[in-house]
Amino acid sequence: MGSDQLAELSRLLYFPTTLMLYLGASIVYLYALTTTVGRTDQRERGRLARRLGGILAVLGITAHVAHEIVRGLAQDRLPLGNMFEVTSLMALVGVSVGLIHLQFVRRRPELNGFVLLGGALVLGMGMLMYAEPGPLMPILDTWWRTFHVSLLVGGMGVFAAAFVFNALYLLRDTGELAVAAERSRAGGGSTVGAAYVGDVSDGAATAADPETAGTSSGPAGEDDELDPDEERDRAELLAYHRALRRGVPPVKLALGTFLGTSLVSWVWLTTADTWSAGLGRFLAVNLTMVAAALVARWFVPFLPATATMDGLAHRTTAFAFVLWTIGTIAGAMWAEVSWGRFWGWDPKETGAFLTWIAYAGYLHARATRGVKGRGAAWIGVAAFIVLMGTYLIANYVIVGLHSYADL
Amino acid sequence: MTESSLPPQQNPPVRRRRAAPSGPVAFVWESVLMGWRWLARMRTALYLLAALAILSIVATAVPQEPNVPSTVASWREGEAGPGVGVSRVLDAVGAYDVYGSAIFLAVLLALYISLTACLIPRIKAWIRLVRRSQPPVVRHLGAQDERTVFVTDRSPAEVRASAAELLSRRRWRVRRHDAHADDPRPDQVAAETGLWAREGGSLVFHLSFYVLLAAIVLGQLLTFEGQRGVVEGDPGFRDTAVSYWSYSPGRWFGEGDHQGWRLELERFHVDWVRDPLAPGAGQPTVFRSDVRVTPQDGEPFDAVIDSNRPLNLDGTRITQLDWGYAPRVVVEVDGEVVHDTFLTPVLTDGGFFRGAVKAPAADPDVGMDVFFYAFAPDGEDGRPVPTGAPWADAPLLVFQLFRGDLRLGATQQTINELDVEELTSQGFGALRLGQSLELEGVTVSFPELRRWVGFQVSSRPQLPYLLAGSVLLIVGLLGSLYASRRRLWVVTMEEAAAAPRTLVTVAGRAFQRPEAFEEEFADLVAELMAATDGAPADPHPTTELPTALPAAETTR
Repeated sequence: MGSDQLAELSRLLYFPTTLMLYLGASIVYLYALTTTVGRTDQRERGRLARRLGGILAVLGITAHVAHEIVRGLAQDRLPLGNMFEVTSLMALVGVSVGLIHLQFVRRRPELNGFVLLGGALVLGMGMLMYAEPGPLMPILDTWWRTFHVSLLVGGMGVFAAAFVFNALYLLRDTGELAVAAERSRAGGGSTVGAAYVGDVSDGAATAADPETAGTSSGPAGEDDELDPDEERDRAELLAYHRALRRGVPPVKLALGTFLGTSLVSWVWLTTADTWSAGLGRFLAVNLTMVAAALVARWFVPFLPATATMDGLAHRTTAFAFVLWTIGTIAGAMWAEVSWGRFWGWDPKETGAFLTWIAYAGYLHARATRGVKGRGAAWIGVAAFIVLMGTYLIANYVIVGLHSYADL
Repeated sequence: MTESSLPPQQNPPVRRRRAAPSGPVAFVWESVLMGWRWLARMRTALYLLAALAILSIVATAVPQEPNVPSTVASWREGEAGPGVGVSRVLDAVGAYDVYGSAIFLAVLLALYISLTACLIPRIKAWIRLVRRSQPPVVRHLGAQDERTVFVTDRSPAEVRASAAELLSRRRWRVRRHDAHADDPRPDQVAAETGLWAREGGSLVFHLSFYVLLAAIVLGQLLTFEGQRGVVEGDPGFRDTAVSYWSYSPGRWFGEGDHQGWRLELERFHVDWVRDPLAPGAGQPTVFRSDVRVTPQDGEPFDAVIDSNRPLNLDGTRITQLDWGYAPRVVVEVDGEVVHDTFLTPVLTDGGFFRGAVKAPAADPDVGMDVFFYAFAPDGEDGRPVPTGAPWADAPLLVFQLFRGDLRLGATQQTINELDVEELTSQGFGALRLGQSLELEGVTVSFPELRRWVGFQVSSRPQLPYLLAGSVLLIVGLLGSLYASRRRLWVVTMEEAAAAPRTLVTVAGRAFQRPEAFEEEFADLVAELMAATDGAPADPHPTTELPTALPAAETTR
């Protein structure tokens, strides 16, 4: 097979194969999440859906790995040389690490759908930067690059997973706070027990929240015998779900997501060849993110307890922070070897430094009593905006030694 | 003695306060204390980190004088950027040199003071912890995270000995406790791990910033960096203070610290993907210099400098920085040669190389603004068509000739810049390789084309310290994030029913990452059972377990 055919094959493996598999797996997993509450027959369907989602996710990761290998063969080098390749690998690392962590370490497979959705979004963003396979500049042709770039790309992928957890945490927490506020108003203005949601239905709240059911009882939904009160419980549960969802105002969420994404996506507005093409890309990115946020809002009632997502965000950020630190130091060492100086405040170096500071801020906020919870999660979201912003700006807007976007 | 039934004002203070200073001294002292306490807060540290981040954003958005002085100059003159007025404001706040500005240094200083203020009490507490603390002996094994019971035929003392040995081998801190009359707490081995490592790791991480700062300051003093362009086949240059084009030594770097070697460029290899349709068209594929080095007192030797393989000469590093074509330009005025050297024009954004000829030997001075196109083949009408391609298959030298005063020494100018203030244009000319041209009595010829390479020579004695600081940083980070604090108790009870049987309760508590502790705990229990020939306990024990009491009460 010639390198042209290989290039074509690698492109097909990326789009539509991998992207569609990730999206499909994500949808199936998210459907499975909705069946964790309800009757026995539904749970059986949920189990089947989870199995199907697992198969699709494994197929998707396989196709993604195959894409990387075929692309590597087509250009006879590791696919880590330009923005498209880096973004694609970032998605691969994020999805595989996220899924393995959730499935085997944390045993929370119900969240897989969100990680896959995040992976699909990053893959889609990668298509905006697609570049045909080609050779590498000689200065990039060294094992230093492999070491430095893979650590940073791995860090980016895991940071992306952490962002998903932070965003979900904020959504669920907002919903719960709203429900609690409503209850305290209904209960005569007393704030005592305001956060107690069990008065709608104890059993229902337990089923919706595996965490509150106690960690020893295993996965949710083991005891699914229909009892006479179930019908009434179900109605109350659905009411609780609606209340949770209502707690997250959709217009505010959509507007906030649009504006938040704009903090990063303006880069496409200013750097595209024509105004209309730039506007198209800008709107595509923003509206996709808004759609993802609204989908996530619909799933708010099925999310696990806030503490679980808070913990997940912290662990993933800590791991990514280690990768980022080592990767940045490796980059400084490479710069010393290659350019004869270890740190020169090049745009990308500044970006790496900013990202490092932002995530250091998040970890410190987590360690400080006063800023825990929502405050820390917001810092985590802001840190991800810094990460994506500096990544795009340093590649597209300010040209420095690190700008390999067009190569 | 304090009497609690009396009103507070009738009781004497428990401890007399130190006589507080008064007047202006008190004001200053109180302010310093307040500032120190403010700096010691975590929130302040976060604000300062944010300020540092904002400053580095400013430094990215505004051109920095140490990096791109020419861009800064054009911003100041209003030729580019937001205009002269804004530029004055930027200058006033030091935005053109953020990393050397007073604001940046102040933030950095505040951050280090804040770090110190945070660390001093933490280090004290940590030392106290390491010196005094020992695992707590438990009275009742209440609700711990993990708990398992097994039985064995070994005696309680034997079981405790094996448990202590097993745990010390796994680097737990172990404390044995044997019950006696005054102490109702049961026989047990109490153990703890990760107590020092987590906080210690965090301390090492934060202390590594002092190492890094010291290394950077040391670097500012001892470092040396110089750039110099060398033409292929030229005699090259010697490592002395005067031979560099740009030269920035640290404050403590003296002229005697130069090593005095000579560097010649024998050949420079560069090539590109020339097929315009191939992927990565125009990208360079080779970028390598063959050089000859003559040490001050030694035999000359050949060496290769590649993109990622700099040359190391006793701690001095030589890297390739940039390159260009070196056309030899000969200028004759009235039959007399006034200029015969290789130019070193630099690549511009337009895809051509730009340089200058300065010949003060002529009267009046001859100056030439030189544009070099590497690949400018003849078009259909016979006129050269400049392309941006960098390979020299059809080189073309275009120049504008000037006569007048070059103002050498009067103004700051680089070798590739011409000061045209006192010069008058004599017209334009274009030359192919080997051609010559006469213009207004001046004969210009272009007999030879070579290449030149800009080398960077740097000496950084601080690198090992920086590396050590980085290693400390990573090790500390790993410790602070991944060392987990755990406690474990192995409580033994003689079972009354069957005399030689011992009932062993193992309980553990995870302060961090409880999900990872599950497996560690199971491992430990399995190993302890294997060491003592234990068997899982009867699920419905006849004797009362030490867990029967509800409260988790631990005492030291």
